[in-house]
Amino acid sequence: MFLIQFFNALQFSMTLFLLAVGLTIIFGLMKIVNLAHGSLYMIGAYIGLSVWTYSSSFWLALLIAPILTGLIGALLYKVLFRHIQTADPMRQVLLTFGLIYIGLDVVRIFWGTMSHSISAPNLLSGSILILGEPYPSYRLFVIFIGIIVLIFLYFLIEKTKIGAQVRASVDDPEMAQLLKIDTDKILFYMFALGCGLAGLGGITVAPILGVEPGMDMEVLVLTLIVVVLGGPGSLKGALTGALIIGFVDSFGKVYIPQLAQIIIYAVMAITLLFKPDGLYSKS
Amino acid sequence: MRAVNYNPKLRLQIFLVLIISAIVFTIFGGYFTRFFIAEIAILSIFAMSLDFLAARGGMVSLGHAMFLGIGAYSTAVLSIDFEINLILTTFLSLFIGLIIGVILAYFIVFLDGIFFIMVTLALGEMFNAWVFTSDLLGGSDGISGIMRPDLSNLGLDIYNPLIFSFYTLMWVLFIYLLLARITDSALGRNLDAIRQNINRVSSLGGYTKYYKIIAFSLSSGVAALAGSLYVQLNGFISPELTHWTVSGEGLIMIIVGGIGSLSGAILGASIVHIIQHELSNIINWWMLIIGVLFILIVLFMQDGLWGLIEKIKHKLFRINFK
Amino acid sequence: MILDIKNIYKSFGSIEVLNDVNISIAKNECIGIIGPNGAGKSTLFKIISGGLRHDSGSIIYNNNNLNNFSNEKRARLGIAQSFQKNSLFPEMTIIESIMIAITHTSNLSFNFYSLMFNNKEIYNKAIEIVNQIGLKNYAEQKSETLSYGLQRQLELGIAIACNPKVLLLDEPTAGMSPLETQSIINLIKKLSLNYSIVIVEHDMEVIYNLANRIYVLDRGKIIFNGNVKDIKSSKLVQDRYLGQNNE
Repeated sequence: MFLIQFFNALQFSMTLFLLAVGLTIIFGLMKIVNLAHGSLYMIGAYIGLSVWTYSSSFWLALLIAPILTGLIGALLYKVLFRHIQTADPMRQVLLTFGLIYIGLDVVRIFWGTMSHSISAPNLLSGSILILGEPYPSYRLFVIFIGIIVLIFLYFLIEKTKIGAQVRASVDDPEMAQLLKIDTDKILFYMFALGCGLAGLGGITVAPILGVEPGMDMEVLVLTLIVVVLGGPGSLKGALTGALIIGFVDSFGKVYIPQLAQIIIYAVMAITLLFKPDGLYSKS
Repeated sequence: MRAVNYNPKLRLQIFLVLIISAIVFTIFGGYFTRFFIAEIAILSIFAMSLDFLAARGGMVSLGHAMFLGIGAYSTAVLSIDFEINLILTTFLSLFIGLIIGVILAYFIVFLDGIFFIMVTLALGEMFNAWVFTSDLLGGSDGISGIMRPDLSNLGLDIYNPLIFSFYTLMWVLFIYLLLARITDSALGRNLDAIRQNINRVSSLGGYTKYYKIIAFSLSSGVAALAGSLYVQLNGFISPELTHWTVSGEGLIMIIVGGIGSLSGAILGASIVHIIQHELSNIINWWMLIIGVLFILIVLFMQDGLWGLIEKIKHKLFRINFK
Repeated sequence: MILDIKNIYKSFGSIEVLNDVNISIAKNECIGIIGPNGAGKSTLFKIISGGLRHDSGSIIYNNNNLNNFSNEKRARLGIAQSFQKNSLFPEMTIIESIMIAITHTSNLSFNFYSLMFNNKEIYNKAIEIVNQIGLKNYAEQKSETLSYGLQRQLELGIAIACNPKVLLLDEPTAGMSPLETQSIINLIKKLSLNYSIVIVEHDMEVIYNLANRIYVLDRGKIIFNGNVKDIKSSKLVQDRYLGQNNE
C-alpha cells in the first residue's frame, strides 16, 4: 500500500517538475513569471486530445502536443514578450495574467466545456508487479518521462555551450551581455522549451486526470509554490521543490486530508521566512 | 511600481461625479438597477482595497478574494451561529480581516514583487480549496439565511432596495474618505515613499516592514468589509466568491481605473462590472474580450482611465485658454 | 571617538578587498577616504553604513558594537548616508522628500495622530532644511524633473533631514560641474560644524577643502593617515595615488 502511494507521489512530483522547470527557467532568465503557464499545460492536453481523437494514436499525440505548445510559446514570445522586455517586470506579469483569460475561452470555443479523457495506449494500459503489488504501467511511464527530461535538461544546462550561456544569463545578465552572449536568442529558445515542457506535462497527465477547462489553475498554484520553494532559475530547486510538494500533497491527501493543505502552506511559509529567495537561490 | 499622478482635486471631482450618478440612478431606477448599484458599490470597496495595497503598499495581490471570503464567512458565522447583531458583525468582520492580514503580512510583505504575486495567488487558491471542502463553512453549498442589519430604529426598512443601496453607497463614501485621508496624510506619504524607493527609506532608518504590514492589513480589512456587505446583499455565501477569477477581476478593475487613485478604482469597478454584465448576456466568450482589453490597457494605457481623463482635461484646458 | 573602525577584513571569494583597515573619527571631525579605483573605497563605505557585512573586525559607535546591526538599525542610531548614485523619491517634490526623511526617522514614525493631523509642524521643519541646503527656489519641483546638480543637493539634504550624528557621504560631488562642486563644498563646510562626517571622494580639491584628516586606501590597505599638509608632502602618497590622479 505504501509502495503504491510512493509511486503515485513520485508520478505527481514528475508532473510538477515538468511544469516547474519551464517556469523557473523563464523566471530566472527573464525575471518574469508566466502566469499563463498553466494555460499552456491545459492547451497541450487539449491539442493532445484532438490528435488522439483523430488519429487514435497516443504516441502521435505525445509527440505533437509538446511541439505545438512550444511553437505557441515561441509565437507569444515574438509577438508579446520581446517587445516589452525592458518594461517594468510587473507589467509583463500582468500581461500574462490577461493571457489566462484568453486561454480559457480559446479552449472553451474550440473544445467546449465538457471534460474529456484520453485512454492510455495499449502498451501501457496494463500493470506491472512491483514487490508483489500491481501498479499501473502508465504512471510508471510518466515517471520515466520525467526522469528523461531531467537527464536531458541536466546535460543541456550543465554540459553544453548553450547551457553555459543560459547559466551565465541567469547568474549575471550584464556580464553575459558583455561577453556577447546573444541573450535574446537564449531567451527565445528557453521560453519555447519551457512552454513545450508545459505541453508535455499536459498530454502525459491527460490519461490520468482527464482534460477539462480549469485544469490550468489547479496545477498552476502548486507549480508556483514549487518555483517559490526551489528558487528562480534553479534546475535542482525545481526538482527538490517538486519532490517536496509532490510527496507532501500526495501523502497528505491520503493520510491526513484535512491538514494536507495547511502543511503545504506551512512548508512555504517556513522556507520564505528563512530563505526568501528559495532553497537554491543565488543569494 | 508606478502609480498615477497625485492629484487630489481630480480624484475628488471624479468621485463626486460617480457618487452623484449612483445616487441619481438609485433614486430613479427600478429594482434591478438598485441591486446592480449595490453590487457596484461593493465591488468599488473591493477595488479601493486593492488600489490602496498597490499604490500605498507597493504590492499587487492576486489572492485578495480570500479576504472577501473571510469577511463574508465571518459575517455568516457571527450572525447566525453567534447571533451577534449585524451592525456589530460588520465591524467585527472588518476587524477579523485586518487581524488575519497582519498575520499574513508578517510573512510575505518583504517578498519581491513578482514572488509576492505568486504567493498571494497560491494562498488565495488554497483558501478557496479549503473553503470548498470545509464542513464548518457549508462546503460547496455555502451558507444561507444571512440577514441585513436592522435599521428599524431609524424608521428604515433595510430590505427596501432603495434603502439598501444607499446603505452600501454610504459605506463607499466612508471608505473613500478614510483611505483618502490616509493617503493625503504624512502616513500616506510615508507609505508612498516606501513604494517609490524602499532602499532609501531603509537607509534612513524607516520601519519599512511595519509600514508595509499596516498597508496590507488596512487593505485586507477593507476587502473583508466588502465581503461582509456582499453577503448582506445576497443573503447567502458560496465558495465561488473566493475563486481566483474574483481576485483577477479586482486587479482588472484597478488597472482599468489606473493604479493610485481611489476614484479611479471606483470608476474601474463600475466600468468593468457593467461591461462584463452586458457582454456575458450577448456572447459566451466574453472572457476572451476582457483578456484582450486588459492586455491592451497594460501595454498602451498605463494610467488607465484616470490617465485618459487627465489628458482630456489637460487638452480642454489648453483649448479654453487659447 | 564617535566612530571607531578596527581591523576590518573583507574578501569576496578568494579576492581580498579589505585588509586590516583601521579608521577612527572624533566628534565633529571631517574624515576623508581617498584612493584609486578598485582600492576598496565603496566596499569600506558599505561596511560602515551597514550595506555589507565585514568578515572580521569591529565597528564601534558611541560604545555600541555595530557588527550585527543592519542598515536600518544603524540609521536609527544616528548614522545617515548619501549615495553615489542618486537615490531619491522620483514622484515627490523636494519639500515632500525632506518631509519623508523627517517623518520616517523621528519618533513621529509611529505617532499616528501626528502623522494624520499634524502636517504643519513637519512642513515647517522641512522648509528650514530646504533653506539650509539652498533649494528654497525649487521646493515644489518633483525630484525627477530636477537637474543632476540639484538632485545631488537633494540627495545630501535627505541625509541631513534625518537629524543624524554621523554623515557618510559617498562621492557627494560625483558628476558635478566646478560651480556645483563649490556650492556642495560650502554646504558640507557648514554641516561639519554640527556633524561628524566621513567622505569618500575622488576629487582631491573637495577633500583638501573639507577634511581634517585623510586616510589613503590602496589595494585594500590604509597606506597613509594624516592631515592635508601631511598628504601633500608625502612622497609615498604622491607616487602611489596622486601621481596617477595628475595625469
